[in-house]
Amino acid sequence: MSSMRFAITMLSFVGIASIIGTILKQKQPYESYIIKFGQFWFDIFRQLDLFNVYQAIWFLIILVFLIASTSLCVIRNSPSILREYKKFQDQIREKSLRSFKHCYEISVPSFNKLDLISLLEKNNFKVREKKNNSSDLLIIAKKGSFQKLGYIFTHLAIIIISVGGILDGNLMLKTQELLGIKQIQLLDLPLSEIPSKSRLDLNNFSYRANVLLSEGEKQDVGVIPSKDGYLIQELPFSVGLKDFNIEHYSSGQPKSFESDLILTSKLTGKIKEQKISVNKPVTFEGVTIYQSDFQDGGTKLNIVTTDLRTNNKSQPMKAEVFKSNSLIYMNQSFSFEFEDFRLFNILDIDSSQKKNSKNVGPNFTYKIRNESGQANEYQTYQLPMKLEGRYFFVSGMRETPQEDYKFLKMPADAERGLDGFLIFKNLLLDKETIKRAINQVISTSSSSKSVNSGNLELSTLRLFKTFQQGGYNDVALSIDKNIPIQEQESAANAYIKIIHLVTNQVLLDYQKNNTSTKFFEREDLSLFTQDALNAYSDSFFYGTPLFLELKDFEHVQASGLQLTKSPGKFWVYLGSILLVIGIFCMIYVQEVRLWVLKKKNSKNILLTLTTNRHHLTFDKYANDIKNKINSFSKKG
Amino acid sequence: MKDQVSLYNKIFIGGLTILASYALLQFHNYMDGYEVAILISSVFAFSWLGFSWRNFKSYFSTIFLLAFLSIFLYQGNLLIVEENFLLKYFLSSQSAIMWMSALYPLSLIIYWFHLFNSQDFSGKLASSLVWIATTLGTAGLLIRWYESYLINIDVGHIPISNLYEVFVLFCIITALIYLYYEERIGTKKLGAFILIIINIAVGFLLWYSFAKGAHEIQPLVPALQSYWMKIHVPANFIGYGAFAIAAMVSVAYLIVDKGWLTKYLPEKDVLDDLTYRAIAIGFIFFTIATILGAVWAAEAWGGYWSWDPKETWALIVWLNYAAWLHLRLIKGLRGNILAWWSIIGLFITAFCFLGVNLFLSGLHSYGEL
Ligand code: HEM
Repeated sequence: MSSMRFAITMLSFVGIASIIGTILKQKQPYESYIIKFGQFWFDIFRQLDLFNVYQAIWFLIILVFLIASTSLCVIRNSPSILREYKKFQDQIREKSLRSFKHCYEISVPSFNKLDLISLLEKNNFKVREKKNNSSDLLIIAKKGSFQKLGYIFTHLAIIIISVGGILDGNLMLKTQELLGIKQIQLLDLPLSEIPSKSRLDLNNFSYRANVLLSEGEKQDVGVIPSKDGYLIQELPFSVGLKDFNIEHYSSGQPKSFESDLILTSKLTGKIKEQKISVNKPVTFEGVTIYQSDFQDGGTKLNIVTTDLRTNNKSQPMKAEVFKSNSLIYMNQSFSFEFEDFRLFNILDIDSSQKKNSKNVGPNFTYKIRNESGQANEYQTYQLPMKLEGRYFFVSGMRETPQEDYKFLKMPADAERGLDGFLIFKNLLLDKETIKRAINQVISTSSSSKSVNSGNLELSTLRLFKTFQQGGYNDVALSIDKNIPIQEQESAANAYIKIIHLVTNQVLLDYQKNNTSTKFFEREDLSLFTQDALNAYSDSFFYGTPLFLELKDFEHVQASGLQLTKSPGKFWVYLGSILLVIGIFCMIYVQEVRLWVLKKKNSKNILLTLTTNRHHLTFDKYANDIKNKINSFSKKG
Repeated sequence: MKDQVSLYNKIFIGGLTILASYALLQFHNYMDGYEVAILISSVFAFSWLGFSWRNFKSYFSTIFLLAFLSIFLYQGNLLIVEENFLLKYFLSSQSAIMWMSALYPLSLIIYWFHLFNSQDFSGKLASSLVWIATTLGTAGLLIRWYESYLINIDVGHIPISNLYEVFVLFCIITALIYLYYEERIGTKKLGAFILIIINIAVGFLLWYSFAKGAHEIQPLVPALQSYWMKIHVPANFIGYGAFAIAAMVSVAYLIVDKGWLTKYLPEKDVLDDLTYRAIAIGFIFFTIATILGAVWAAEAWGGYWSWDPKETWALIVWLNYAAWLHLRLIKGLRGNILAWWSIIGLFITAFCFLGVNLFLSGLHSYGEL
């Protein structure tokens, strides 16, 4: 088990598991996996714990084996390394000295032992001398012994880091879960109803829990998300959120989030007030508190609901994010579930190539559920957006979360409000108005022709009725039904033209009679008419006819905090330092051993250098040392 | 001669110290303690580099001269670019980087010419071009740093925060490491190979800035606003650059091993040794960078290790080169296998650098395509 082959095998496993963990997105809700892989593969993957590789039992076992293997290796090799580290090899014979590659015989006319030793010491060698039995002189020197220690450092470091990591992992929790002491809570229960089996007390020595606080709120437990459920972690203090601030760049991207926290120790009652922000956490009672994200905290919304397909009066509605309202409308009951509000939305709405993200202002998200429980999801922007050079009020609808939103785009009036469109809708649905406009159009355009204008009026009125009841879609259906195929296209064009002409006339009249309003005082009124007709027609695909216009709001934010207790961190950091030192020793320290043998009566010395790792530079180094000794002995 | 050298050293170190002191006096209100520490340590680091590497001194002095010239020309107004010839065509960050992008391909061609004809002149020309390109690239980054503050004081940040910027960083760091070895080993033949990888990066850079408008300066998301970025990212890129060099030298090794180009390229031993040295340098910096990344993550995300794809791939890269070093240092393995391995290692590294951003999503927020 202490063999390198075993270690490498284990390391390869870690590598492969890691790759799987990055390719398969981890810790997603289980439904999304089922949708992606199907039930069959989902079951297999779940059995293998592939949705949470890094906390899987088998992954932990591999890590434990790795630690064991490395430890054994260190235990086995260290004694001899330490011995080597201290030892000067003085039991060496001339013959073996001569057998090394870097062995030089140098003539030394005048030889001074002390000078030689100081020369070597100047070159960072540690020097010993040994008198041979024959009273030959043997000088033994070495340097860079730290390289050997590098082995111990790096491998010890790996062990320390892994142990630290396992301390902070969820091994304890996992064991307790397997033994049935703790149980992941799957249901969304109020705090008071969560059983103690799903609660972790203060003894839990390592965790990463989340706390979501609205401004003014206070909490003393955190939530640990776990697989498809969660656990509740008791905290040694309570956290209150006094204030939450987001700063934005002028372009609208968030620049910083800051929470003003009030921390109150449960044990000592000590109170600490502290501002935290991303990259600036605070540690209190051994728990570190980080700013991780932010959410809506129940923004209050002032809404006006409008029926886009009748002339009914608009109704005001007070709403709050995370709450729902119910409404009986035209004998049906609806429930409005408000889910989110966002003050800033950076969208890339310009379709040109270059990135051109802009803040388009607030939006809110809600569901409208009908009596049978079916719900559509809506996302509506408060302010008009500029699309293709014109301003529109935009609201998206989708039937399931997997779909993209389909957008209803209602043109803004000349005052950038929605009123123009709503007036347009009311006029369009008003029979008398339409009738008057039809007559006006007929009389101005076809006065010279001998067409039966009464007939024309009647058929146009019929056309409008169809349009009112189902938009262009119904018009197309009726064309399909009533008109021979070869004439359909020209009929469609004519119809669209008539509808446009008439409604445009309606608006012109309205503007003439209501000079106090300026909704339709615009040069491109015809474009507005076209956009408004499209919007009305699209409203038949909007799910409900009810449009929720956001008038104003009172923004309430919630700060997402992460609270961690990680006793292993110290060890991981310690190990990391050791690791860097160790690698440095191993790679950049070159161990060199050197012997100088001077036979008693010889005018020559024998110089030998060895190294345990042969790099190219060593040749040069050995040569340098030889030259230094050479020139020094000549000089002396 | 010796006196001259030491005089140059003194001027260089003196200059660095004055610059840093000026920055400290002028801007200390905007820095936190760590940033002051980083500034001071970088004076030591660059002094040491300049001390032990003559050409580095000239390079470093020049980038600062260029950057200051540019700052002087800007006069605190970003819009002046259009009116000022020098800024428009040379000393705005975008133009400087474009010059870099033009000179690297040129030097690649000359290096290949040099590979076969071995004239001193062509070799010197190629190296000089790389020096100039690198100088302009670095000056470009420095100027970009300044420009980001001109956009808005709160937008200002060190230009190593998105893919465009780190690609420039990759090019100049790889080039610098190469230039260092070129001088030490005394052969300019390897430029023909190293410059390939640099030019691939240049190609990506150009595509990325033309097709995606990526050169625009964007403000930093909150998680990146930390002094850690100033050490973590450069350390990482020294690692990436060194691994890239190791891989390209290994390509040369394999070519020589086949018996091709043996007349022109250095001996196998030299190539093998250089591969080792590059990986060793890369490994130690990559280790440090990963550790710093963990420390930073602990501060920004609340955990030193979250198995985020980028982290995980950094671990995979690290394990890969640790295995490489084990085989070479312990088993004494040399030759073909290790050469191939270091080439494959570059692909793993590239995936960590780019692939993760392209294909996987995670907490590392910068540089999505
Ligand atoms: C930082 C990276 C590492 C370096 C530079 C390194 C270096 C070394 C060296 C030099 C040896 C040979 C020691 C000797 O026989 O004198 C060695 C052996 C070994 N290393 Fe590593 N190591 C590193 C990381 C690891 C890791 C992550 C593991 C995995 C757990 C590991 C497991 C082993 C094992 C099992 C041996 C064999 C010991 C034996 O021969 O009995 N090493 N390593």
